[in-house]
Amino acid sequence: MKVRKGEIKVITGNAAAAYGAMLCRPDVVASYPVTPQTEVGEQLSRFHADGILDAEMVEVEGESSSMNITAAATLAGGRAFTATSSWGLMFMYDAMLQAAGFRAPVVMANANRETPGILAVSCGQQDMVSTRDSGWVLIVVENCQEILDSVIMAFRLAEDIEIQLPVMVNYDGFYLSYLAEAVEIPAREDVDQFLAPLKLQPERTKLVPERPLGCGTHGILVEFMELRYKHCAALERAKRKLDEIDQEFGEFFGRSYGGQIEEYRTEDAEIVVLASGSAAGTARMVIDTKRAEGLKVGLIKLRVFRPFPRERLTQALKGKKAIGVIDRSVCFGWNCGPIYMELRALSPDIGFVPMMSFIDGLANMDISIPHIERVIDEVYAASQGKSYQEVTWIPLEE
Amino acid sequence: MVIRKKFSSKYEAGWSDADELLLCLDTGSWRTKRPVVDKEKCNYCGLCALYCPPQCMLNLEDYFAPNLDFCKGCGICAKECSRGAIAMVPEGEFADEGAKR
Repeated sequence: MKVRKGEIKVITGNAAAAYGAMLCRPDVVASYPVTPQTEVGEQLSRFHADGILDAEMVEVEGESSSMNITAAATLAGGRAFTATSSWGLMFMYDAMLQAAGFRAPVVMANANRETPGILAVSCGQQDMVSTRDSGWVLIVVENCQEILDSVIMAFRLAEDIEIQLPVMVNYDGFYLSYLAEAVEIPAREDVDQFLAPLKLQPERTKLVPERPLGCGTHGILVEFMELRYKHCAALERAKRKLDEIDQEFGEFFGRSYGGQIEEYRTEDAEIVVLASGSAAGTARMVIDTKRAEGLKVGLIKLRVFRPFPRERLTQALKGKKAIGVIDRSVCFGWNCGPIYMELRALSPDIGFVPMMSFIDGLANMDISIPHIERVIDEVYAASQGKSYQEVTWIPLEE
Repeated sequence: MVIRKKFSSKYEAGWSDADELLLCLDTGSWRTKRPVVDKEKCNYCGLCALYCPPQCMLNLEDYFAPNLDFCKGCGICAKECSRGAIAMVPEGEFADEGAKR
């Protein structure tokens, strides 16, 4: 079914995350301020004060509490939302692992920022990459509208009885968190209807006083392995579920994002650029320019980093002559980008064609049009059989 | 993914029922020393039960004694007992009882 058009407002990425959460009517909201995410909590508090958000707003003393409180709220059967970034994400890491292990369907907005080390108050996906093995679903989005839509879709995914996993919606800090652009805000009733299928599902296990249950109280030997097995299986199921939810969202609201990956002009492409986050928007423009010049180049926007969209990527990339990956973070110990490293693991499926890693945009450096043009030119040269450099740190290498 | 085995837990996440996995964790087997209560010295004050971290001192109406299924043998009860009524006896001395408890 198609719903009525939403209200168009010019809002920031942070506000878009807050709007998305508010529309899903969470029972509990707990978030601790950290640049560049602070505005999410402020906006949600404003909604609460205005009476349009009927949630318990918990004022917390740190991110560890915000994660534990929201995870516990979901284990009691509620819907919970939190938001953080970088240092805050690291401060809640143990609680994040607990939430994943307990299969607590928390939805969290994460404004991507560089991680501790150098005090980099700037954009980078390193914080998300650091949570790669946390067992969370890690979604990466490109613009403010996609932030709002993805938060709504994240609740559908997280709370699905077949999934029951915490979901993180990642958007580039600074670039998107503070960028104000026109965003269509769906009507509340329509979001209610989109989330309604969750109510038809069997109820997930929850803590109620009448029926005492332990959570995480056992777990040695075979029981532990069993939980890990079920967790991994749920992440596998999440891949197809993401595609289905995205398609359903499109039928409802007229916007869809391709599910796990978005393919842009890849069908007849000979070379492909793989990018994620706000850089994908710039890349799309450059692809159009290069196409106009006659170069058969396409773009794949990675929308989910965990679970890794193995099958969809294999299908999209099979037969291509060369692939370039733009990473806004590094893979320590491999000296390349993390998404590139993951893609290389698919070489036996895709075929052993030239794959190139481009590290760019760390700490707020722009992944600019000339940078992406250079990526395409170098990948094209590699596809023509010319020798190529595997890893390039774009701003450092002229 | 094909599920090849039957799982021991019916839950998707780490839940456990109060009468099943939750209480069957065999912490008693971790014990190297066992608290033994001298009923004559015990004046039923209950300090041991208050201090016991897993709360496994059982109230036996005129004295207290540990539930050996859960007692890890930490010895806090013996340390806190002001009448010295609890002795920590090495588990080896109970070897002839056959069972590990």
